[in-house]
Amino acid sequence: MNTNPDEAKLALWLEDELHGDELKSFEQWVLTQPEHIAAREGIRHWKQMISTTLPESEEPPYPDFFNSRIIQAISQPVTAAPAMPAAKATPFWKSWLMPASAFAGMVLAFWVGTQTSQPEVRQTVSVPSKTEFQPIVYTPDGEVNAVWTSGADASVIVLEGVNPIPDATDFTETVYMDTDHEIDSTAGRDSLPH
Amino acid sequence: MMNKSTAGSSKNVQGTEVPVDLGDSVSTPDDDLRLVALAQKGDMRSYDALVTRHRGRIFAMIRNMIHQEADAWDLSQEVFIKAWHALPRFEAKARFSTWLYRIAHNVVYDWTRKRKIESAGELNDEIFERDRIDPAATTAPAGGEAPDESMSHGELRVKIEAALGKLSGEHREVVLLKDVQGLSYKEIADVMGTSLGTVMSRLFYARQKLQALLKDEYKSR
Repeated sequence: MNTNPDEAKLALWLEDELHGDELKSFEQWVLTQPEHIAAREGIRHWKQMISTTLPESEEPPYPDFFNSRIIQAISQPVTAAPAMPAAKATPFWKSWLMPASAFAGMVLAFWVGTQTSQPEVRQTVSVPSKTEFQPIVYTPDGEVNAVWTSGADASVIVLEGVNPIPDATDFTETVYMDTDHEIDSTAGRDSLPH
Repeated sequence: MMNKSTAGSSKNVQGTEVPVDLGDSVSTPDDDLRLVALAQKGDMRSYDALVTRHRGRIFAMIRNMIHQEADAWDLSQEVFIKAWHALPRFEAKARFSTWLYRIAHNVVYDWTRKRKIESAGELNDEIFERDRIDPAATTAPAGGEAPDESMSHGELRVKIEAALGKLSGEHREVVLLKDVQGLSYKEIADVMGTSLGTVMSRLFYARQKLQALLKDEYKSR
């Protein structure tokens, strides 16, 4: 529906909502328009039919009880909220500072975590390869020189300055073994005592 | 129970006491404003008188909007309870009755919205509307009026209410406010929170649809 000023004024006139000078000036024109006069009559007829059929006012059932319930409801004191520590108004700066602080804390914790775990990473990375490994060989005698060499298949320790071991040397005498039987590692199985 | 026959009083601009009829006789805007002024000071009897003056219109309006008497009774009470709590903010820029219609508008729309949410997924009883049921069906309900409806309402009223029920909420409300409650375009715009042009447009189309639905009754009168 077009609601330009004339249309709006016509709508008001059709509903009998124009008054005073505005009504007089508008009626000078509109009363020469039979279709608008007929339209207003139609609307008046319609409104009369509706308003006489549907009551403008209708008492609710049990009207006294209706009122008393309202008065009872509005007479009750507003129930206080459960006792809680008084919430302090949060200052404006706190509203953005707290999340920012939390974020900064997370970043710091992450950084510290990365720092503390770095030595382990370096150890893993700096493990020397097998060919680079140079073990320290201790010898019981200061005049004995020990040289360690490593190849692809075997590692060899060469001891220089060690006196020849006599064939009569019984190694079992140099080793304590907690056993019921004396074991001669050089003996065959058949020589084991029964 | 409140004593509704007791007269109250309020001070006019000269400061003299002006008696106010607290009875439920004809309500005038001036009387309303005096009672409102007393009620704003906490006078329950004045507010009770206001309820008595306006409960019929509010109940009729809501009942015609939702077509359920029990819910209309509850919602009408809610309107007056909310109005009491909002009374300190009432500035008499509009008539008290218009202000009440505005609260009623909000209460009904809140109720409708909640009801839609609560009934989501439930059985839609709109499918049982009589005009959607095959009249030849052996289990079709009788099409006549219920006896109590027939006694309390005229036949035309039942037909108009049925036709109103087929309008959208906005169209139904604008017809009720204009043609039944007699509000002006401006007041309806205030109540519905919309523009004057929208109200004019809604009323135009709502009447057209109603007249089409009621063409037999409309032409015969």
